[in-house]
This record gives sequence, C-alpha cells and structure tokens, in this order.
Amino acid sequence: MRGRPGFSTSPHEVRTAMTRATEEPLGGAPDADESLGDRAARAVLEFRDGRTDALTDLVREATPLLWHTVRAQGVDRDVADDVVQSTWAALVRHADTIAEPKAVLKWLLVTARRAAWETVRKGRADLRRRTELPDDLTEGSAALPDGGPGPEAEVLTDERDRILWSSLRRLPARCQELLRLVSLADRPDYKAISASIGMPVGSIGATRGRCLAKLRAVLTEQGEASWT
Amino acid sequence: MSRKHENAWGAPVPGEDEPLDDRDVAVLERLGRAVRDVDPVPEGLVERSLFAMTLARLESEVMELQQIVAPAGSVRGDAPPLEARTITFTHERLTVMIALSADDDGTHVRLDGWVAPADTLAVELRQPGGERTTTADADGRFAFTAVDRGPSSLLVRLPGGGDVTVSTPVIEL
Repeated sequence: MRGRPGFSTSPHEVRTAMTRATEEPLGGAPDADESLGDRAARAVLEFRDGRTDALTDLVREATPLLWHTVRAQGVDRDVADDVVQSTWAALVRHADTIAEPKAVLKWLLVTARRAAWETVRKGRADLRRRTELPDDLTEGSAALPDGGPGPEAEVLTDERDRILWSSLRRLPARCQELLRLVSLADRPDYKAISASIGMPVGSIGATRGRCLAKLRAVLTEQGEASWT
Repeated sequence: MSRKHENAWGAPVPGEDEPLDDRDVAVLERLGRAVRDVDPVPEGLVERSLFAMTLARLESEVMELQQIVAPAGSVRGDAPPLEARTITFTHERLTVMIALSADDDGTHVRLDGWVAPADTLAVELRQPGGERTTTADADGRFAFTAVDRGPSSLLVRLPGGGDVTVSTPVIEL
C-alpha cells in the first residue's frame, strides 16, 4: 500500500515516472465536474499509493496559483521561484501526514503564503545587515532583490485591460490578492482560495462578494459599464 | 465607495450579496488574462518543481538562496544567460557559491564552486539525467565541466561523519 515504487528509486527513474504523465491522458477519465481541489485530493491519495501521474498533473495545473500567491506577498521573481518549488517539495514530505485530503489545495496555498512571508521577513533583516557592511555594496549588488516593485502593467496594451488593472490596484491589498487568485481559478475553488488568505467564508463564490463588488464599483466610476 | 478608510470588511458594498452574473464572469476572465500577462510564471518552473519533489524524497536539508548576481535584465528561468552568473546559497553550517559560464561553445555549462568553511567535502550535482560527484579541494574549490543545461541541484555532505547532507534549491542551468 505504501510502497511508493516511483519514489524509492533513484532520482533519474523517479523523474521518468513523473514526466510521463504529460504525454498521456489521465488513467481514469477525469470527471468534468471535478474541481482543482478535488484533483489535488486525488493526487495526494494516489501518491500515497505510489502513483505519481495525478500529482505531476496537479503541479502543472496549480503552479500558477502558487506563483501568484507568493508574488502577491511582495517576493521577487527569483526567490518566488524557490518558494514555489519548496512548497511542492513540502507537499511530498508531508503527503502522509495531511489528515484531510480535501484540504490539500488550501494547504498548498497557505504553505506558499507563509513561506513567502518568511522570505520577505528574512530579506529585510539581511538587507539591514548588508547595508551595514560597505564591502558588500559592490556594483553587483544592484541586481539584488529589492522586494519587488509590484507587477507592472506596461505589458497591457488593451485600454480596457489597463483600466481594469488600475482599478484593481485601488482596492485593499487583500482584495487585490483574492481577485488575482480567483481570476485564475474555477468557481468551485474560490472557497479554498478565500480560506487560504483568511477571508470570511462566502467572500466570493456563491455571491459576488465584497471585493468583486468593490472592483465593479470602481470600474463603473471609470465609465466601464459594459463588459459582456 | 467613498468609505476609503474602512477595511475590506468594514462597510457592506452594494451588490455584494447578489449572485455572480455575466459581467462578473467577464471581469474575472479579463483579469485572469491580465494577471498572466503582467506577471507570467517563469518558464521551466513546473519542471524545476517536479525535480525538487524528486529530490525531496532524499531528505536532505535545503539551503537558502542568498543572492543571484546576473547581468541586468536577466531573470533566471526566463532565458538563462550564462555570462558571469554567480549564485550564493547559505545554510547555518555551510555557504556554497557557484559561478556559471558557457562550456563547449555554449551547448554545455561549466560550474565552478566554492564551499565555506573550506573543507574536502563530497559535492554531488543532481540533474534529471543522473548524478555526478566530485570532491572540493583543501581550499573548498570544486568544478563540474560540460554540464547539461536544465534543472539542477547541488548536494554537499557535511563534515563530521554521519550522513548529513544539504542541497541547493533547484536552479536552471
């Protein structure tokens, strides 16, 4: 039951096992109504049984959500790359101890978020220490992470996209984070996303919720009434 | 709308209790595209994550990425440039610094490394295609030549017996 053949062997063999899934459809035809949260639960249960294909698919599907979760905490791109990786690595280490598989998606989001905070906290401490050592202020230090200026909207060429983005930026930080994440997800997963960032139950999903209502109010102020 | 000093949950906002409608869906779809365009997921992050998961089974302690010094404008994972890239990793008992340069006309990578405190430690380079091992010299220096590009992690066996290892996060060579 817990043999986990794919992971008890060398990295090379495991790697082979983990990439194969991308070239084939899933073994048991997935239910069209299955949410990301459902797929995450299934992936961990299958992983416990030694099957890694569903987990590989989950990594492909959920990495964008983890990426934007981490970036929303003000982590620069290089460090965010490591935080996302280590979140997935932590899932592998804790796969046997996650008591409630249905909560795997929330667990991933919360783990990524906490790890992101931790790096931001450490980064500030390191920066303080480093700025006290003039020797370290070489030219190369110009490339140091600076906590990130926040995503820049210059890449948005469509006027409506720009209005939408600037409207989003006028909302409270947690609303921005919530809306950025749910915009990447399907409605059944809104609840797990809200819960992971400490939003009240029902903040979005069954109803429009406060954050989306605020965004629409700002858009209406901007004269953007028709979006359909 | 004028209650700018309220926190996110302070005052009810008109329409917040209504069901999601077509306009909400349209706004969220457009926002999703904008989020992906403004801050795209780095190329290769999925592969690096899968490799990190593989390495996680090996139970070594993962070092912390301390600093990347790269030519301005380059971001690891987007289009790995090799000119004069140095990366520093730290652990409470060890620091590893590596410098990357092109090898074999740029098809491969040369990795020059240095462990501190200096010691003749076994250093392993792990890639999806397999592992290579070398030993740092008395000054803590080590090197791997003609390394394949792709997700990679270094693993160092700490001195003092036992089988304590630390590894770097997965980086893209």
